[in-house]
Amino acid sequence: MANGLAGTTLRINLITGDIRRLPTDEALYRRWHGGRGITAKILYDEVPRDADPLGPKNIFIVNAGIMSGCYIPAGSKVEFGSVSPLTNGPGDSNMGGHLGPTLKFAGYDLLIFEGISPKPVYLFIDNETVELRDASGYWGLKSLDCEKKLKEDLGEDFEIATIGPAGENGVLFSCITHDFGRQAGRTGQGAVMGSKKLKAIAVRGHKSLQVKDLDSLRKQVTGIILRTQKHPNMVPWQKYGTAFFIQWSNSNAVIPAYNFQTTFYEDIDKIDGDKLVEKCLITDKACFGCWMNCGKYTKAVIPGKPEVHLEGPEYETASLCGSNLGMKDINHVAYINWLLDNLGMDSMSGGGVTAFAMECFQRGLIKEEDLEGHTLKWGSVDDVEHFLDMIAHRRGVGDWFAGGTKRAAAKIGRGSEKFAMQVKGQEMSGYDGRWAPGMLLSYMTADIGAHHNRSWTITVDMAEGREKVEGRAKIVVYLQHIRPLFDTWCICRLFWGELDITPEEIVESLNHITGWGVSVDQALRTSEMIWNLNRCHYIERHRDSGRTFDYPPARAWEDKIPSGPGKGKGLSLAQIDQMLDEYYSARGWDKKGNPTRELLRDLGIDFAADNLEKLGFLGEPIPGGIPSVRGEKYKPKAF
Amino acid sequence: MVIYLKAGGELRSKLQPDVDYYTRRIEAEAGKTLSDILIGIGISPAFVAFAFKDGQLKRLDYLPSDGDIITLQPPVSGG
Amino acid sequence: MRIKVNRDKCTGCRLCLQICTIEHFREINPKKAALRVEAKFPDPGKFRPYVCTQCGKCEEVCPEGAISRVASGAYLVDKDKCTNCGECVSACPVGVVFQHPDHDFVIICNFCMLCTELCNTGALVKWEKAASLEAKEA
Repeated sequence: MANGLAGTTLRINLITGDIRRLPTDEALYRRWHGGRGITAKILYDEVPRDADPLGPKNIFIVNAGIMSGCYIPAGSKVEFGSVSPLTNGPGDSNMGGHLGPTLKFAGYDLLIFEGISPKPVYLFIDNETVELRDASGYWGLKSLDCEKKLKEDLGEDFEIATIGPAGENGVLFSCITHDFGRQAGRTGQGAVMGSKKLKAIAVRGHKSLQVKDLDSLRKQVTGIILRTQKHPNMVPWQKYGTAFFIQWSNSNAVIPAYNFQTTFYEDIDKIDGDKLVEKCLITDKACFGCWMNCGKYTKAVIPGKPEVHLEGPEYETASLCGSNLGMKDINHVAYINWLLDNLGMDSMSGGGVTAFAMECFQRGLIKEEDLEGHTLKWGSVDDVEHFLDMIAHRRGVGDWFAGGTKRAAAKIGRGSEKFAMQVKGQEMSGYDGRWAPGMLLSYMTADIGAHHNRSWTITVDMAEGREKVEGRAKIVVYLQHIRPLFDTWCICRLFWGELDITPEEIVESLNHITGWGVSVDQALRTSEMIWNLNRCHYIERHRDSGRTFDYPPARAWEDKIPSGPGKGKGLSLAQIDQMLDEYYSARGWDKKGNPTRELLRDLGIDFAADNLEKLGFLGEPIPGGIPSVRGEKYKPKAF
Repeated sequence: MVIYLKAGGELRSKLQPDVDYYTRRIEAEAGKTLSDILIGIGISPAFVAFAFKDGQLKRLDYLPSDGDIITLQPPVSGG
Repeated sequence: MRIKVNRDKCTGCRLCLQICTIEHFREINPKKAALRVEAKFPDPGKFRPYVCTQCGKCEEVCPEGAISRVASGAYLVDKDKCTNCGECVSACPVGVVFQHPDHDFVIICNFCMLCTELCNTGALVKWEKAASLEAKEA
C-alpha cells in the first residue's frame, strides 16, 4: 500500500488459536486516523457494555498507526487499547521504542486479540509467519528477564513486548514493557494481556514501507531534521531527557511530595536531572527515527543490592517514585523504577499506590502485621521493594493495593478516600493541581482518569493566574483535541512543543505519507469525534451521568498546600464546580456532563446518541445550541 | 557586559532574537543574576525551566560573565 | 572519504538505516540498509553501529569480479554480474555486506554520506583520510 500502511490486519482468536489475515481497512484509518482512534471505534463496536475487562469478551488491540516507521521524526509509537480494568472505561496506552515500526516492517498494521487462551502463549511474527506459540517456558518470568530470554531464543533482531508477574496476576495497573525500558504504562493494558494468557509479542520484519509521495516527505522531513539539529532545546533534551524538569516542578510548587501532602521537596537536589546524569547514566537511548534521543539508559547502584540497568527515571517516575515517596538518593529512585519495570507495573500508578500506602502507614491505617512484618516508611527503598513484591504477587493486603488507590481506599476506609490521589480509578500524574487549576481540571476530565497526557496547562495557569479558574476550560478542551492526535498518528508528542515543529508541518507529513489532503482543523475534529465516542462509551458502561465521575479526591479542595512556595494555596469545591460547569459548556455537553444529540450529530456519530438515549443518559439539548467552536488555542497574553 | 541568550519554543518570540533565529544580544550590568536580567527584558523567570551554558545546567540565580552564551529552556509541555 | 564511527555516541535511533534505503531503494526498510546497528542490552547497555571500512575483502573473494573499488574508496556492486552467491557476505569482517529476499544482488555501502548528515550525536561522521593511512587501519 503506498500510503504508509503495511497492508494486513490480524484477528487472533485466543480461544481457538485461529489467526485470520484481513486487508487493512483503509477507510477505517481515514475516518479514525489510526492509533487511539481505531482502538476507540473497535472497542465501542465490539466489547459488550457489561463485559468484565479481565474476561473473555474484552478485546486487546495493538495498533502501529499510520505514521509509525515512515521516516517522520519520532515515528516510533505503538498504541495498545482495551477496556481498562483500572477505570472500567475505554483505555489506551502507547510507547516508543521500535515495536510499532517493526510490526509494519513485518507487514502488519493492526492486531486484534479476542477471547482468552487456555494456556500461556506468545505471538510470534516473522514476516509472513504468524503463530501463537507455547509460552510455558516464559510465564512467570519478570519482564526484562523475559525479553532477554526471548531475544536469546529467537534472535537479537526480534522486537519484544512482554508483561511481568504483575500482569500475569491481574494487578490492575500492570504495564507492557519493551526494548529493555519502554513501557505502555497507563490503564492496565498489561493486566488485560495477562488475563488473556498472552505473555509476549515477538516481531521481526524485513519488508518495505511505501508512502504516497516519498520525494516530498523526504525533502520536508530531512529539512526538519537538519533545521532542528541546531535548535537551542536540542542539547539540553539530549543530555537530560525529561529529567531536567524535576527542579522546575519543585521550584514552582507543583511536584508531588509525600503522597501529594505537599508540593515542595527539600531534598530535590538529591534526585534531580544532574544527579541522574552524574551518577546513573550509561547511554542516551532513542526511539525509532528520533534524533532527540531523550531516553536515558542508566544503572542503579546500591550497596548490598545487585547493579541493575533500566531506562529512566523519566520525570513522571522521578517525581511519583522520588519526591512523592520521600526518596533521598537517585539510585534508590532508579532502583524502584527498575523494580516496577521488571515486575511489570506502571511506574506512575506504582508510585501513586505506594505513596498512598505510605500515608496509610504514617497514619496507622495499615500496620507492620499487615505488611508481613515490614514497615512502609517514607524514603525506605527496602520497604518499597518488599511492598511492590506483595502487590505483584497479590499477597495479603497487596491484593487490595493491586486494584489501585481507589479500590484500596474503599477497603481501608477511615477517611483514606480523601488522599487516594486518583480520578476514575487511575492515579495522578506527577503534578499537583491545587495551585494549577487548569491542571486539576485536566485530571478531572481526561477520559482515562488523572493523566496529564491529554492536557497539560501549568504554564497557562502561571500566566493567567494560579488562583483563577475562569477561562481554563476552553484551553483544556483544545489541548484534549490536539495532544491525543499524536497518539492517533503514533508519533511522539515531545518534539512538537520542544523543537518548534508546527502542527501544520506534521499534517503536511501526514499528507505526504497518505495522500489524504487533510487540514489541521479536520484532524482536530477527528480527535474531538474520538473524544466524544470514548465519553459515550464510558457513560454507557457506568450507567450514570458524566458529572458523577469527574471529581478529584477531596484533598484537592480540603487540604491547602502546607509548605513551600505554594503554602496556603488551594481551590474551593465551588471553584471546582465552576470549572466543571465551564468545561461542559465549552464541550457542548449538558450540565450533567452528557453529550447532546446535536453535538454527536455534528461530529458524525449519531449512533452514539441513539445508544445513550436508550439508556437515558443522552444530554439535554442546550438552550442556545452547542458552541460552534469547541476549545480554543491558548494565546499567551502576559508572560 | 554583553551576554547572548538563546531560546526556542514558547520563549523564542518573547526573547525577540536579533543575532540569528534563536539568539539575542543583551547588554547587562555585571553582578545581576540571570533571573534579574530576564525580568529586565520582560520575561518572567517562571517560564524558564533552567538555563544551560557550556553543557552545564544553571539555575536562574546564576551570575553571567561577559561573553556568556546561555540557552533558556522552557518547561516541557508535560513530560 | 570514509565514515568514522564514534560508537559510544550511538543512541540507536536508526535514522541512518532509514535514509540509506530511502536514497538507494526509494523505500523505508532498515533491513536493506548498507550499515547496521547492534543493540547490546541490558549489559553493557550500548549501541554499536557497524559500517564498511573499505578493506576490500569483498572484492578479493568475489568469484564473478562483480565488485570493484572506485575513486572515492567505495566498493561498488555490478548488479548484472552479481549472482548473489554470498561469498562476500561471509568474507566481510565487519558484517556489512547484506542480502535481502527482494533482490538478487548484494548491498554494499557506496559512501553517499547521507547517514553522517542525519546522525545527530556524532556517532557517524565524515572522515577524510589518505589511502595509505586507511590501508594501515583496515
